[in-house]
Amino acid sequence: MKTMNLIFGILILVTTFISCRDKRDPGRVYMPDMAYSRAYEAYAANNLKQNGINYINYPVEGTVRRGDLFAYTIPNDSNGYKMAVTVKNPLTALDSNQMLEAQRLYNINCAICHGENMDAQGPLAVSGKVGGIANLKLDQFIKQPEGQMFHVVTYGKGNMGSYAAQLDRKQRWMVVQYVKSEQVKGSAAAKDSSSITPAAKDTSSTAQK
Amino acid sequence: MNHYRRFIGTTTTGIFFLFLFSFNNNLFAQDGQAIFKSYCASCHKPDAEFTGPPLKGAREREAAAGLPKDWVYKWVHNTTSMINTDPYAKQMFAKYNSVMTAFPDLKNEEIDAVLDWANKYEKPAAAASATGTGTAGEDDNSLLYGVLTLILAVIALILLQVNSNLKKLSDEKQGIRTPNPVPFYRNKAYLLLGIIVLFLIGGYFTMEAAIGLGRTKGYQPEQPIYYSHKIHAGTNQISCLYCHGGAQDSKHANIPSVNVCMNCHISIKEYTGEPITREDGTSVNGTAEIQKLYEYAGWNPDLKKYDRPGKPVEWVRIHNLPDHVYFNHSQHVKVGQQQCQTCHGNIQDMGEVAQFADLSMGWCINCHRETKVQFNDSAGNGNKFYSIYEKFHDDIKNKKYDSVTVERIGGTECQKCHY
Repeated sequence: MKTMNLIFGILILVTTFISCRDKRDPGRVYMPDMAYSRAYEAYAANNLKQNGINYINYPVEGTVRRGDLFAYTIPNDSNGYKMAVTVKNPLTALDSNQMLEAQRLYNINCAICHGENMDAQGPLAVSGKVGGIANLKLDQFIKQPEGQMFHVVTYGKGNMGSYAAQLDRKQRWMVVQYVKSEQVKGSAAAKDSSSITPAAKDTSSTAQK
Repeated sequence: MNHYRRFIGTTTTGIFFLFLFSFNNNLFAQDGQAIFKSYCASCHKPDAEFTGPPLKGAREREAAAGLPKDWVYKWVHNTTSMINTDPYAKQMFAKYNSVMTAFPDLKNEEIDAVLDWANKYEKPAAAASATGTGTAGEDDNSLLYGVLTLILAVIALILLQVNSNLKKLSDEKQGIRTPNPVPFYRNKAYLLLGIIVLFLIGGYFTMEAAIGLGRTKGYQPEQPIYYSHKIHAGTNQISCLYCHGGAQDSKHANIPSVNVCMNCHISIKEYTGEPITREDGTSVNGTAEIQKLYEYAGWNPDLKKYDRPGKPVEWVRIHNLPDHVYFNHSQHVKVGQQQCQTCHGNIQDMGEVAQFADLSMGWCINCHRETKVQFNDSAGNGNKFYSIYEKFHDDIKNKKYDSVTVERIGGTECQKCHY
C-alpha cells in the first residue's frame, strides 16, 4: 500500500511540474526529431559560416526572378531622379480586377500616410506622427511622370522609405498606375465643380471626404 | 426727422461695411486654414517644430534676420534655387536638413493668408483623451468553487464522524457491543477510496500534461524590443499585411526586416501615446524601445543617416507547428480569405503577443469542417479555382445543399498537411 501511495505522489508531483509552466517558456515536446526541422527553416539561426560552408544571403545583384519585370537600374541619386522621368510603365493598362488589386496594395502600403483619397490624410498623417507627406492630389504630383513616381516608391524620398522590400516591381507599377488613374479622376471632378483657385479646388476635395 | 434718417442711413451703411469687412476677413482666415491644410500641413505645424519650422511668427523671424517682406514669397515660389544662393535659406537647410517643396502656383495673397492664419492660431483646448477601454478582468470562479467544495467536504466528513460517535454512544447505552473501531488509515474502505481519488487526480493531470506537450497556447516570450501590436495595428491602424506581406504570397508570414520599421520610425522618434504597461504592471518606456530599434538599424536620428552597420532583430518565434505538419499562410490568407484574427486572436489589442489558439490538430480539423468554401458564384465573386468542382456546383444548383465545407473538398485528408 505504502509503495502505491508513494508512486502516485511522485506521479502527481511530476505531472504538475510539467503542466504548470511559465508563459515565457514554450514547454516541451514529445519526439523532438519530428517536431523540430532538420533542415534550416526560414528565419532560423544557422551555423553554416562557422562550419566553413560559404553561401550568399542575397540573390546576386541584377537577378531577375522568373516572371518578374526587368531590373530597375537607374541609381538612387538626384541625377537618377531626373532620369526617371523618361521611364515608361512596362505594364499594359490594368483591367478592373487588377485595378482592385492595385487599390488593395495601395490601401495596405500607402494609405497609412497618403490617405485612401490620396490627400495626405492617412491615420499617421492625421495624428501628426509622420510629417512631410505628399498630398498626391496637388497639381505637381498630378503632373509628376509615372516613371519618377516609380523611382520614389522604389528608393524613397524625404521622409518616405523604400518600398522595394514590400512591393515587387510589378506591384509597384500597378500602384503607380492606380495612383495616376485616381489623380485624374479627382482633378477632373474638381475642375467640374470649381475652376477658380487651387485653394478652392483643394477645399472642395477635402470637403468630399 | 430728417437728421434722424441720415443718422440711421449712416449707421446702416457703417454696420453693413463693418459686417462685410469682418465677414471678408473671416473668409480670408478660413481660406488660410484651407490652404495650410492642403499645402503646408504635411511638413509644418502652425505653432510647433515639425519637419519644417512653425509658421507662427515666421514673418517676425524673417524681419529679425533683416530680410525684406517679399522674401517669403520668393522662397515659397522657388525653394530649390534659393537653397543654394540665399544665406538665410542655407541656414534653415542646415537646421532642418530638408528642402521644402516649391509651390510656384501659390499667390502672394494666399501665402499671406496662411501666415496670417498661423499667427492667429491658438491651440484648441486638448480634448479629454479617450482612455483605453480596459477589459474588465474576467472573474475566475473555479478557485471559489474549489474552496467551497473543500469546505463542504470537510463539513460532511465532520458530520459523518459525529454521526458515528453518536451511534457508538447510543449503542453503548443500549448495551450492544460493537467491534473495536479500526483507525481510519487502516480502514480498508477509506484506503480504497483514497487510492481511487488519487488515481483519478493523477490520471487527470497526467493526461493534461501529455496533451499539453508540444502545445504552447498562451506562450508569450519576452521579445528583444517591446513591440506593441496594440499601438501599431490598433491605435495607428497599420494593416497586418504592411509588415507581414508574405502572408499573402508565401508559406511564411514574414517577419519584417528593420527597414520596414524605419519607413515610419525615420519620422517617429519618440513615443507620445498613452503610457504602456506590461501585464505584470511594470511600465515600458516607448521612446527607449524606439532607440533600441535605431541601435539595430544603425540609424543616427540626430544626423538623420545610417552611420553604423545594422544587425537583424532576433525576434522570438511564438507560433510553431511541429515539423511533420505543413502549413501555408497564403493558402489561408489569399485563397481562403481568412482574417489574421481567426487564428492569432485579437492581435490589435495585444501589447505583447501571446499564442491565441492551441494550434492542435483537433483545432485545425474543426475549422476545416465548419468553414465554407467561397465558390465562384454567378456574380463573379469567390475563388475561380473551385470551378473545377463541377459536381458540387451542379448539386448546389439543384439545391441539394447550399454550401460546401473545406472538408468536402478534401480539407481533412491526412496528406493535405502531413507528407
